[in-house]
Amino acid sequence: MRKKFGIRQILLLVLILICLIVPTFVKTPYMLGIFVTTFYIGCGTLAWSVLGSLTGEISLGHAGFMGLGAYIGALLMNNKHITPWVGMLVAFVVVGLLAACLLAPCFVLSGPYFTLVTIAFAEAFRNLFTNWDYAGKGQGILVPLKEQGMYSMRWISKVPYYYIALIMLIVFYVILRKIDRSKLGYALKTIREDEETANAVGINPFKYKFIATFISAGLIAVVGVFYANYIGYINPDIMKQSQALNYVMPAIIGGIGSITGPLLGAIILTPLSEFLSATLSHIAGGLNLVVYAVIVIAVILFRPTGIMGWFDHSKFKKKMNDRFDAIDAKLFGKRG
Amino acid sequence: MNTEILIQAIINGIMVGGIYAMIGMSLNMIFGVMKIVNFCQGELLMVSMYITYLFYSELGMEPFVAIPLVAVIMFGVGALIQSTMITRSIKEDGDQNVLFLTCCLGIFLSNTALLLFKSDYRTAESVFSNKVVSLGSMNISVPKLLGFVALCVTTVLIFLMLYYTKIGKQIRATSQNAIGAQVTGIRTKVVYACTYGLGAAIAGIAGACLMSYYYVYPAVGNIYGTRSFIVVTMGGLGSVVGAFFGGIGLGIMETVGSVIVGAAFKDTLVFIVFILILVIKENLNIRRRKG
Repeated sequence: MRKKFGIRQILLLVLILICLIVPTFVKTPYMLGIFVTTFYIGCGTLAWSVLGSLTGEISLGHAGFMGLGAYIGALLMNNKHITPWVGMLVAFVVVGLLAACLLAPCFVLSGPYFTLVTIAFAEAFRNLFTNWDYAGKGQGILVPLKEQGMYSMRWISKVPYYYIALIMLIVFYVILRKIDRSKLGYALKTIREDEETANAVGINPFKYKFIATFISAGLIAVVGVFYANYIGYINPDIMKQSQALNYVMPAIIGGIGSITGPLLGAIILTPLSEFLSATLSHIAGGLNLVVYAVIVIAVILFRPTGIMGWFDHSKFKKKMNDRFDAIDAKLFGKRG
Repeated sequence: MNTEILIQAIINGIMVGGIYAMIGMSLNMIFGVMKIVNFCQGELLMVSMYITYLFYSELGMEPFVAIPLVAVIMFGVGALIQSTMITRSIKEDGDQNVLFLTCCLGIFLSNTALLLFKSDYRTAESVFSNKVVSLGSMNISVPKLLGFVALCVTTVLIFLMLYYTKIGKQIRATSQNAIGAQVTGIRTKVVYACTYGLGAAIAGIAGACLMSYYYVYPAVGNIYGTRSFIVVTMGGLGSVVGAFFGGIGLGIMETVGSVIVGAAFKDTLVFIVFILILVIKENLNIRRRKG
């Protein structure tokens, strides 16, 4: 049955419209910055969840892939004067393929071992970039603000970044929705639940893990290109494992196993962490991250399935669904 | 390259490897019994280094003298973490939650350290700190040598404990079959808490030794945390003796590697070797199972 246009779709459109007109109300760069950060962290979380949520392979090396993307974008722009838009495409293909090929021999590893390998790769990349002359060694590289405009993806104002990040988030979400409901998504979920069974029913785990890694690492590399242009400065520290956790923790809070969960987690957690760092970090350095970690630990201990895991089994969801259906019926009459 | 430099590098490697071996052993202790990979082992080491530092700066205690005290305190910390948090999140289905939990604990611990001690580098001067023993043309720094001695003593003690004491036998029984152990009347919860505490205590010994020639700062756990995983995979997960040789092997690989490829790229070399070992081992395992 095809989904018909109803109240849910209207609400979604309203939400997107609200997001579109936010910059006309929010004038301070600081507030706008929080929105942009939320959006690109959301993108990163979505990219991570292709591998983490759908396939069930926990990667803590995604900061490494993001860093690679950032470096590709910045180096292409600085040295070859190639627009970051092409850089995004290049980063998607190159980093995706590189990650998939490097991780391909490691697909046989299960659970924490795979996680260890991803950490090791990210650390190896970080070490390489810290010592590579062409990439500016440990000091990193600046993406200079010589010319503003679409071609160089550099602006002083944050408004263009806001729209780019928003569009990127919507595109990522749509892609993930499509993957989630396609044959690929079901195959990945089967592998997550039981690899042996998947193999037995004719799903080749290697092939699908390869595709998932390609998409996941490629998408986060695109986020990396955006990040390089938005911040204007990158150094090897962005490949740290602690940076990878920025993309993983929203997924934990939101609920691993769905697509909406990670997104929701990012929308809740990123402003929270920005707020904490604005209010607490000048009282005492590190206090914001202590509070942040305590919150995440509390969620892991008391709600291990995350927000969506709770929501999916709650009465609240049923009630809301009923209400929406009632409004639908009132607005559009009875439909077969 | 002349052989003298190489031999010196190997000796240094063995000394550095002592610390790696100890952290690897602590991680193995926890993995062997509870089948969880503890992602905050490096941070536990960091905590123990700060405790040693506090003993030194407040009471003027020598790092090597503080070893037993630090070990006892870390045992308590470890047992507390295990009994209050990790037990709750160990479930039959998957170990994702424990992974995330220990990761977040790591962030929590390192940022608490940042909060309390700021990001300054701190050192604890030991009487032995700048002493060097010369053997022919070879030089060995005394604190590293003492650290290595501590490692050997610790390994022997753990071995004796595991094989000849009641709690050691209970730990081994639980690691073989948790349900079976429970049936025979072993209180596995206590055993788990003890094991985690013991793991933390070994990290504590390593931290106290390390403090005599290294500096401590809130992010120090990162370096040693990743190293400990490498040690453990090289020596085999769950085996104490394996960790001993894995650690020394890693130490030698690092120092000899930095002589060969240069100090800048030694980390890359180490990580690549680590990945190779892991993948080859798993493939061999699969082949053995199939045929």
